[in-house]
Amino acid sequence: MSPALTELGARLVAYLSGRWRQPLTLKHIEQIPGGASRETYRVRLDTPTGERGVIVRRDPPSSLIDTERALEYRTYAAVHGSGIPVPEPLLLEEDPAPLERPFSVMAEIEGCETAVAVLAEPGREAQRQPLGEEAWTLLGRLAALDIDALGVTGFMAMPEHTAARELDYWAGVIEADALHPQPVAAAAVRWLRRHLPPPSPRHVLVHGDYRAGNLLFDGDGRIRGVLDWEMAHIGDPLEDLAWSLDPLWGWPARERAGGLLPRAEAIRLWEAASGQRVDRELFRWWQVFASLKALAIWISSTEDFVRGQSKEPILALAGWVMTDRQNRILVDRLRPGSPHRYTEPLA
Amino acid sequence: MIPRLSQGLADLAAKLARDIAPEAGSRYAMANTGMVSMLLGALALDAERAVDARMTDIDEIKSLLRSAPADAEPARQPAAAAFLDRTPRSLRLTDVDAVHAEGMNLLIALHDWAEHHDADLDSRIWDFLVRHSERHRLDPGD
Repeated sequence: MSPALTELGARLVAYLSGRWRQPLTLKHIEQIPGGASRETYRVRLDTPTGERGVIVRRDPPSSLIDTERALEYRTYAAVHGSGIPVPEPLLLEEDPAPLERPFSVMAEIEGCETAVAVLAEPGREAQRQPLGEEAWTLLGRLAALDIDALGVTGFMAMPEHTAARELDYWAGVIEADALHPQPVAAAAVRWLRRHLPPPSPRHVLVHGDYRAGNLLFDGDGRIRGVLDWEMAHIGDPLEDLAWSLDPLWGWPARERAGGLLPRAEAIRLWEAASGQRVDRELFRWWQVFASLKALAIWISSTEDFVRGQSKEPILALAGWVMTDRQNRILVDRLRPGSPHRYTEPLA
Repeated sequence: MIPRLSQGLADLAAKLARDIAPEAGSRYAMANTGMVSMLLGALALDAERAVDARMTDIDEIKSLLRSAPADAEPARQPAAAAFLDRTPRSLRLTDVDAVHAEGMNLLIALHDWAEHHDADLDSRIWDFLVRHSERHRLDPGD
């Protein structure tokens, strides 16, 4: 264990012992890779009643996504117990003093893994299809939840025009953060403005980053947790579906949703679980938007890497490799007469 | 000095991935070592062609501007005329990038105009964007 981790663990134990009014001992602490928007740590504690695992999410010096930690925490609290599996949120600390930066603590869901890439390993093929079926069924269920009953309307903005709001926001991110001209992003923004759909007739809780890499699954391939709600908002039900099906998430197995199952099947499962039909023309708008939003995040991460304090390799990876792939996906989506090497014409 | 920059970077990427990452002391270190290895591989690919790819982009943007119709306002601006006469001060990436960015900004304006006024030019600009994105791709053979 590095000295920095040891010190962080000691400060955390001191803090939690005070908050929970019980003596705690640190058994283990490790940083979890891939926490692009927050530093994420797995911590094992000895408590008077036995061993306990928690996940600590701490603000980084800079991140891929500028997000609101309180909104994420309150979203976890709202979704917990709704039928969508999420880790139980335990506490939010916005005072930077205890750990140098604000952080939240969640209960660990034990015996799980998040890296869907491992499903590409030989011998695990049989897990992909059922995991994919569950993933898009869960996403459909999320789209069927009543936002008033969930309570998210109490702390999330209700948009007048979801598509316009989202497009304005992410186009603004590109304008603010691009370090050099982005002709593909500019063409995509113009296309999206020309084809802006009417205001959404129905509002749902949008996860904002629903993809295979944010699903926590156990050894049997069952989903035990949906993670990373930092971009959650009230919006259009098609937004999450389009995002989840972007070819980038299945790379290099682009023809399969998240590398797990055929995209048409994912859509069918989502429709069955949500009780909604996918309007293909409308869906195309959200597909182009999803690719643009992802590109905006990669562009923003480039800016963070170059100008920010954090030199995390994932920021550089996003700035180079992800930006390249996403540009190709968008060109493939929008070019007249596209051969659609990366995407289907519709869906 | 190792004469081939791209080969040196690619060999380091392979070493990191094959021998060093598995010996990393934590999953966090292992994952980050893997990412750095992947990045080194991508940069090895780009190092060899970076100037050539940008110079080709610059030449093709100049062709698009020259072939734009007379009423294509973005192609008739003083900035476009200046760009058509411009060559990088040197083949250092910084100098090439400066001219490349100038061309890309003009291309964006021309594309916006073409979408409303000239379907053929719009199509040719998309063809350029296909070639451009393929020239700069960082995944070998995907």
